Amino acid sequence: MRLCRGVVLLVGAGALMCHAQNVPVGTQSVAAGNVPDAVTRKTGLRVAPMARPARIYAENCEGCHGWAGVSVTEIPTLKGRVGYFARIPEGRRYLVQVPNVALNPSSDEDIAAMMNWLLATYSRAELPADFVPYSAAEVAQLRKARIDVVADRRRVIAALVAANELPSSDVLSMPHASLY
Amino acid sequence: MKPISKNRFDRLIELASRRAAQRISRRSFLTRCGGWLVASSALPLLPVSRRAQAGDAPQKPPQKAKGPFASEFANQAQTKDPTQCNYWRYCSSDGYLCACCGGGPSTCPPGSSPSPTSWVGSCINPDDGKTYLIAYRDCCGKDSCGRCSCLGQEGDMPEYRPQVNNDIIWCFGSSSMVYHCSSAGLVGLAE
Repeated sequence: MRLCRGVVLLVGAGALMCHAQNVPVGTQSVAAGNVPDAVTRKTGLRVAPMARPARIYAENCEGCHGWAGVSVTEIPTLKGRVGYFARIPEGRRYLVQVPNVALNPSSDEDIAAMMNWLLATYSRAELPADFVPYSAAEVAQLRKARIDVVADRRRVIAALVAANELPSSDVLSMPHASLY
Repeated sequence: MKPISKNRFDRLIELASRRAAQRISRRSFLTRCGGWLVASSALPLLPVSRRAQAGDAPQKPPQKAKGPFASEFANQAQTKDPTQCNYWRYCSSDGYLCACCGGGPSTCPPGSSPSPTSWVGSCINPDDGKTYLIAYRDCCGKDSCGRCSCLGQEGDMPEYRPQVNNDIIWCFGSSSMVYHCSSAGLVGLAE
């Protein structure tokens, strides 16, 4: 009799365990932010969904410029810097005409959205108060031109200093600019 | 009843044995032992989820999302073993797997260091069918690992699109340009 009761109890516990463990791996656990992956499950890492502009940045720019807009000295720093360029029309033009932006396979809409996201994310404080976001049409027009990056950058920085929009050209200096 | 011995320890044992003889039935040990035997052999037969064991077998993931996927790689991919070329994150990885060289899919082996620059691609996870961004970061500063050479080519572009090319040694900015192995860290979930 006692044995019988024990077995019933065990079966009950088994049924409970079964119920608790059979949570679907698919949509439910991902909605909570978990990646269905053997390694990630061990570390408990969760990844956040990325908006489209952030994804465009990640796929085309982040590898070199870094996820925080800061990288090695060879790569221009975006954080706390890139917004200065948007203060004058030549700088605004330059940001889209930089070869890896102008020649990127992404669409004009994606480039415009990514640039607006990038400026607001990495350099909001440096943006002009009356900053007008890039439109796809503006990007389409600007990216047709091919520029000499090093010379153009130097010109834009001089113009920023002349217009009193930049305290000193050192703020946007690049130790390795001569390499390019 | 006169105790058999005056020794305290002997008396204690005697008391315990007499009590056992008086209170416990002759078959109680057999009953309990039999109960445990039946219970322990019956427990593994219960309908408990065995997802962990199922993962060890080299087969397709047990709970696949709706396929086939747009990616040829994802249709053959698995999420369990990062030392295999068909591990889902390696859809664009070209080189030796750090997971086979003493590191992990997103960690560098001892003696090598992660490059500060990387290229970012995207792979479909076959279990949930979603697209994740993966950073292909080379581990540098040590001679080539030489184990688990894999070539995934999803989204790989020619060298004139260097930011999405996997033939390049991605050790830019690190102290040494010597390539050791390739890692594949998770960046985020694409919406």
